[in-house]
Amino acid sequence: MRTERGRLRPLFFVLGLATGLAVVAARWTDAAAVRGASMAPTLLPGERLLVERWTFRRRSPRAGDVVLARDPRQPSRELIKRVASVVDGRVSLRGDGMATTDSRTFGTVPFSDIEWRVALRYWPVRRIGPIPAAPPLAYEPQGGEPACTAFGDLVVGE
Amino acid sequence: MLTLRSLLRPTRVVDAHCDIPCGIYDPAQARIEAESCYNIIKKYNDSDDEVFRTRCIQVKEERAELAKHHIDVLWSDYFKPEHLEKYPDLHQTFWQAAKQVSQVKHTMNLDDAKKLLDLIDQIDEMWRATGGPEKTRVQAAAV
Repeated sequence: MRTERGRLRPLFFVLGLATGLAVVAARWTDAAAVRGASMAPTLLPGERLLVERWTFRRRSPRAGDVVLARDPRQPSRELIKRVASVVDGRVSLRGDGMATTDSRTFGTVPFSDIEWRVALRYWPVRRIGPIPAAPPLAYEPQGGEPACTAFGDLVVGE
Repeated sequence: MLTLRSLLRPTRVVDAHCDIPCGIYDPAQARIEAESCYNIIKKYNDSDDEVFRTRCIQVKEERAELAKHHIDVLWSDYFKPEHLEKYPDLHQTFWQAAKQVSQVKHTMNLDDAKKLLDLIDQIDEMWRATGGPEKTRVQAAAV
């Protein structure tokens, strides 16, 4: 009997570890889908992201973080933008893309409206990985929302 | 059963939002072209000059095509899934309007053109209710 239980001990250990990981993941992480192209080409419409709310328990958002924020004009909407700067405890948000509505339109947002940070992209498979820490300086526009192709000939940085 | 697919499925949708697609289109664009169709049909029916009537047919064809274009752009670029939740017959209305443009092309019947105007007005109503005018219209300079 004792030897039987002894042999199963590694199995219990692995099961316990997996359960623990699942609990932590459920509590601190979530999966999000991107809608819209204001973060292109860093994030494209339909891409899927792992987001976490551990970081902003430990420190405030800072420039370069890609975050989820409540839209000050429509609180039911959750925006995804990059933190451009932090001034006096308020956060200025920017989209990486050419056509974006962000803090330049709706003003800065308080820390309390930002809980989640984007950790990495897990879909599509060929784009799995961390999110670049800064917006690209120059790029070919990626299409996105049809009306935004009105700016198709512009290239940032030229 | 916990599957890999259910683990990967996103639980929230986050908006990389841009106001532009919802701040530049106006159903008035479609209505102006549809009004032209309406008036062309009137002029056609009032005339017995064959050359004039032939030109009416041609110009109506062009104007109707423009009306259809404006309807399509509103449908695909302005209206969003959250609008559909509020107006469940949104797709039906647009589909009917697009079909009605074809009907206006096919005939010289004033009623067909009137029906198109009514459908565009229904679209206009949804557009207004979703804040279209505030997002789109630019105040004229005070005289």
